[in-house]
Amino acid sequence: MKITDFKIPTRLDEALAALRDLGPAALPVAGATSLVFIPEDQPMTAVDLNRLGLDGIRRDGDAFRIGAATRVAALQKRHEPGWVLDRVALTLSSQQIRNESTLGGNICRVFPWSDFPAALLALGAGLVIRGAQEKEMTADEFFSSQPARLFRGGDLLTHIRVPAVGAGAGFGYKKVRQTATGFSLATAAACLQLDGGGIRSARAALSAAVPFPARCAAVEAALAGKKASEGLLREAALNGLSGLKFKEAEGMSAEYIGRLAAVTLGDALVEAWAQAKEQAS
Amino acid sequence: MSTTRTITFTLNGKKRDFQIAPGELLVKLLRRSGLTGTKEGCDEGTCGACTVNVDGRAVLSCIMPAFLAHGRNVVTIEGVGDFDRVHPIQQALVDAGAVQCGYCTPGLVMSAKAMFEENPAASDEDIRVHTDGNLCRCTGYEKIWTALRNVRDANKPAQA
Ligand SMILES: Cc1cc2nc3c(=O)[nH]c(=O)nc-3n(C[C@H](O)[C@H](O)[C@H](O)COP(=O)(O)OP(=O)(O)OC[C@H]3O[C@@H](n4cnc5c(N)ncnc54)[C@H](O)[C@@H]3O)c2cc1C
Ligand code: FES
Ligand code: FES
Repeated sequence: MKITDFKIPTRLDEALAALRDLGPAALPVAGATSLVFIPEDQPMTAVDLNRLGLDGIRRDGDAFRIGAATRVAALQKRHEPGWVLDRVALTLSSQQIRNESTLGGNICRVFPWSDFPAALLALGAGLVIRGAQEKEMTADEFFSSQPARLFRGGDLLTHIRVPAVGAGAGFGYKKVRQTATGFSLATAAACLQLDGGGIRSARAALSAAVPFPARCAAVEAALAGKKASEGLLREAALNGLSGLKFKEAEGMSAEYIGRLAAVTLGDALVEAWAQAKEQAS
Repeated sequence: MSTTRTITFTLNGKKRDFQIAPGELLVKLLRRSGLTGTKEGCDEGTCGACTVNVDGRAVLSCIMPAFLAHGRNVVTIEGVGDFDRVHPIQQALVDAGAVQCGYCTPGLVMSAKAMFEENPAASDEDIRVHTDGNLCRCTGYEKIWTALRNVRDANKPAQA
């Protein structure tokens, strides 16, 4: 990315006006850690999003409201009942990247290795966008294709609403890397809501192994209404991904990555089940 | 056309103006300003040699545009210690034999400094997590972790 000018607004309306004025030459910048991955071509004016009061996390009823410019390290270092994003944050690259990268930056332009899209899909998060008006969309809508499409007109993601994982519910997050801070080969996230010993609802999502982060509908359908067991969870993951297209990676065939994704999703489901049992009401 | 812009930030305790190209990276600005203690290894955010502290956070100066430092408080290894005023983290690394070629050391010290400022009682696990972005080709890490555990233990209030 070729930055030929920058603006440092201190109010949201000021930032939105600057983005509208600049049009396609504007580049919103939060942690700026993605610039190294974007080839230099067009001259861009960077608009700093770090001084708009868009950071911070607060409990809001049954959910957490997270400012888009909240650092991944702040997610990593929060620990309280219902909060599960610390587990996702801890796996994201290195501490320096976690210190600088923001949750908004991680999801507004999705890379194959991005950690939060799968987690937010599994959690059923809501995304709040501000332009002329404020609108909220579901994670399914937001991640239906590259979210960068939503921000070309100068809008900004302002915050993310993440449901607390409460009584009878559990969350699991797993990824496979070749080195501790390396890019993921397969990333899986899962949420289970138990009803006694049965599964009332299941949400599962994959990224890295597939072309774009996505829910795993067949896995979810195979679990809903069933009596939970480790065997059932692993079987659903192994059988439920056959319709998906997998990528090759670093000398590994698409078939192998598919198998890896299924095992990883099975692990995430088992982790979610363990937490759900612990939180049984 | 890019033009030069002026930004202001506190560098190792002194507030200063800097003329920068808008897209200039912080590591380039620091090194051309004579502060060559901050190292460049990979230049792509994967090795940690370029770590500096911005408002107390350990960040990678090789991928951080300098303009993001405007109005902030930047500390580099030169602001931490020197041969005649060695910082306790530096001394602990020397004492544990955790410095060989030394190329990773400035970045490592900046990661450790940010960690201990936030949490002087960092656990063994915290130490590993907060140094996971500092690659060292020489030491095998054990001596680094020993040194940082020693810093942590020395931070503990003396037992009565
Ligand atoms: C070496 C390296 C390894 C990494 N490994 C991983 C990894 O394993 N897993 C992982 O998840 N991430 C990883 N990352 C981080 C990831 O690649 C992204 O760079 C990062 O998450 C982006 O966050 P940011 O705050 O720095 O965003 P920026 O770089 O500032 O912005 C990212 C994009 O989002 C847009 N944007 C930012 N905020 C908003 C907003 N509020 N509204 C609208 N648009 C916005 C920007 O215009 C830009 O297009 C790694 C980064 C590096 C450098
Ligand atoms: S030089 Fe910055 S991380 Fe390697
Ligand atoms: S001492 Fe040589 S790289 Fe760490």
